[in-house]
Amino acid sequence: MDGLIHEFRLAYAGMKGDQLAETLRPDTQLYANKLRAFWGRGDFHSANADLEFLFKHDQSRVRLASRDETEGWIAIYFSYWKAVGEILAAEGLLNGSRSSWVKVYVAWKEFTLLVIRGYTNHGFENWTIPCLYVAGKYLRLFAIRADAERSSSNNDAAMTSFGDDFDPTAEANKLLHDCTNHLTKIFQICLTDRAPMEASRKWGVYYAINLLFKTYFKLNSESLAKPVLHAVSAGRTDMPSIDKFPKSQQVTFKYYEGVLSFLEENYVEAEKHLTLAWLMCHKDSHRNLELILTYLIPCHLLTTHTLPSAQLLEPFPQLQRLFWPLAQAIKKADLRAFDLALRDGEGEFIKRRIYLTLERGRDIVLRNLLRKVFIDAGFEEPKGDAPPPRRTRIPVADFTAAIKLSQGEDIDTDEVECLMANLIYKACCSPRSHIIPRL
Amino acid sequence: MSSPWAVQPGIQPAAPYTYPQTLSTAYTPITIRQGFGQAYQPQSQYPYSAPANPPPPSAPAMAPPAEQQQKFDWPDSVRNYVQRTFQKSNLDTSISRQEMEAKLKETIRSSQEAGTMYTLNWDEMPLPQQMIREERQRALMVSMASLKTSGPEPPVIALSSSKKRKSSDFSEPEPTNGSTVPWRSNSKAASLGDRISKPANSPMDAPLPAKSKFQKHTEKRQRRGDGYRSSYRSPSPQPASGPIVGCNQELEKNYLRLTAPPKPEAVRPEPVLHRTLDLLKKKWRKDGNYVYICDQFKSLRQDLTVQHIRNEFTVSVYEIHARIALEKGDLGEYNQCQTQLRALYKAGIKGNSTEFKAYRILYFIHTANRTALNDAIADLTPAEKEELPIKHALNVRSALALENYHKFFQYYLDVPNMGAYLMDMFVKRERLAALAKMCKAFKPELRLRYITEELAFESDAEAAQFIIDYDQDLLQEREDHIVFLTGKAGRRFEDAKSEAFRRVDLKGQI
Repeated sequence: MDGLIHEFRLAYAGMKGDQLAETLRPDTQLYANKLRAFWGRGDFHSANADLEFLFKHDQSRVRLASRDETEGWIAIYFSYWKAVGEILAAEGLLNGSRSSWVKVYVAWKEFTLLVIRGYTNHGFENWTIPCLYVAGKYLRLFAIRADAERSSSNNDAAMTSFGDDFDPTAEANKLLHDCTNHLTKIFQICLTDRAPMEASRKWGVYYAINLLFKTYFKLNSESLAKPVLHAVSAGRTDMPSIDKFPKSQQVTFKYYEGVLSFLEENYVEAEKHLTLAWLMCHKDSHRNLELILTYLIPCHLLTTHTLPSAQLLEPFPQLQRLFWPLAQAIKKADLRAFDLALRDGEGEFIKRRIYLTLERGRDIVLRNLLRKVFIDAGFEEPKGDAPPPRRTRIPVADFTAAIKLSQGEDIDTDEVECLMANLIYKACCSPRSHIIPRL
Repeated sequence: MSSPWAVQPGIQPAAPYTYPQTLSTAYTPITIRQGFGQAYQPQSQYPYSAPANPPPPSAPAMAPPAEQQQKFDWPDSVRNYVQRTFQKSNLDTSISRQEMEAKLKETIRSSQEAGTMYTLNWDEMPLPQQMIREERQRALMVSMASLKTSGPEPPVIALSSSKKRKSSDFSEPEPTNGSTVPWRSNSKAASLGDRISKPANSPMDAPLPAKSKFQKHTEKRQRRGDGYRSSYRSPSPQPASGPIVGCNQELEKNYLRLTAPPKPEAVRPEPVLHRTLDLLKKKWRKDGNYVYICDQFKSLRQDLTVQHIRNEFTVSVYEIHARIALEKGDLGEYNQCQTQLRALYKAGIKGNSTEFKAYRILYFIHTANRTALNDAIADLTPAEKEELPIKHALNVRSALALENYHKFFQYYLDVPNMGAYLMDMFVKRERLAALAKMCKAFKPELRLRYITEELAFESDAEAAQFIIDYDQDLLQEREDHIVFLTGKAGRRFEDAKSEAFRRVDLKGQI
């Protein structure tokens, strides 16, 4: 306990938020011994007495701003101590006692609420917000583990609501849902701080949002992200602009913003955000770069009709495997190859939610095919000295034949006309020059 | 925690622990006021939950402890009644003491709540053990009766010539039709003969083969449902701690949204629900009163939920309600059912999963919910993708994604099951989209016949009407045919299309 509080004093005296947060990090891989020492014999009374002493009576204690704040930190560390006990027990690092992740979650939630209360009631200063980050981050992780634990033990849980039907998804992710409520609280106490900018908790907004979005995506309820974005853009005027925040937070936020637009089929917006994320992303964050590209490539395909180059895909073998065959098929106007590539990757594409977008690439294949037919049609009879003009009228029958060849299956004229109409509608080609009118 | 200060003698007493205060402030104990008089007390359930250990049977009366006597003065008739209950001569060995006490408490409470404590003739009142015996008898009768009536009903032939199937077309070959409770049919070991020869303990006491987890769950529920075997009701009802078991025998019940844990008296047990479903199916075929049916189905679903009944019967209830809702275009109810069905199928409970998975895809096409659509597809196994209804739905989706209206309308003409009801919901906007494209691509005119065929109108007249609804001047008669003046349509259909796609109308959906 001494060691930890010593670290707290150092961090507090130096106003080092990250160091301070580190003292509250329940990472059993990194700090197994430290945490065990902190837990000690697990004696309730002495833990409490120690904290009281270390914060209030010890000669070398740091002077906190107020008595109130002291109480806040004592409560936090005591609650942290209890949570650490549960965590160590759940990990099996304590001889004899066992615990469950559900209990860990409950204990950590308690802790999180106390940290939040530190800001609302005990006047914690804004440089300490990394403590909120740690609380939120681990709350989410513990919720996920607890949910997994519950579903594997799968006992008929008590009914918690009086709904008319079962709510299976809510039941499976009950704690993670609960977790989002507390993460929202963290987001709100950051956003609603009215202190002057340099002392404001607003600097925590993007970290909180990113955590919240991460959870929403995990819960498959992206729609909840909208109100959050609205809240931020409404308060944008008295917020530091996003480029003043740490880059890592910017990249994550832009990525989520991009994917959200992507899912709403707003590809132009999506492309904007994702490009920003792509440019700012650290070059060694391989996984993040890959994630960004997963959505950026389909975006580009639809907005600018451009394909990823071999060079771009090279560092990402998985993306290469997924996108390269598609890109080749589009380039070669090979309908059959395109359909095959799409089918082969279907599972992966659906998992990443890009299938429905990529599917539309078929239009581009058709357009390329039409262009081939056009080039193949050659030239009109030359008139006079002028170079012969291109033949601009393409019989539907020619295009039909081309489609048959390309996809290897029969197609009837009505359907070809329908596809033509689509191409014309999307201004891939002009009606006057291409279609032989039907009557 | 080897902190040296912890053992310093001078400090601990000097700095009193704060934790007892912080820990015990989860709630503040409040002493209950005792001076409100009679009018307030009938609502108080306090006296009944207080005695943790019931007095021994030798005590002459289960007289409430002294502190409770202050609060409520029991009439002598009630005291006598209690006394009679525990008389040795009246005891029944087949009924446990807890059951008796629970029943006794319930009886007194209900009379207290009804305010009949002083007016009831307690001397004539049946003793709790008698009531329990009667209840067991009744429950037995019910399950016997449901066995008898399980014969097949005469099939009702659907007279409809429409291309769509009605929900009632489905109700006959229901796997769980009739009143055979699924858990009875589940354990094939117990034939009808077994059950008759030893009705009380057939499937349960027989040595059972290794069971799946699900089976075990069902059987646990069966034991609960067959409450008359051991304990009809748990001694001290704690409604929030688990599924309750109902004892209401009414077939029909109006739907009421729950705001508190349900009372067993208001909930129908599974055998009754089976008969309810049969009744509702008949009524739906006969009267077709949707408001009534929907209300009844909602209460039926509620009863299933509060009792945690999740089996093939549950699936069939949701399936039937979903079909009826579809037929009536009640998408809100339909969506609730489908959400449940998805979870039930996922839990491995059998039903018409291909049919409803296909509906699910069509539904999300209608609501234009791409995320959900993606999830619905992700749920499918390769084998399911080859099943006709699902394959059809996926084809519809793909045709729309590629804006291939030609194919789309061909799929529209040939929909399996009741999918057409769902497709009807979005066929109009797709027609507008197709018309918008035609107006741009085919100029200056198109034969009306072509539009009728491409957009799957039932007749030229219907197609003409559709166009006239947007603009009266776009049709022109020629010698032997009518043409649609695409060149003059301008942005008319373009605008109508964006309007139609702008907001998906989910009737009744919250």
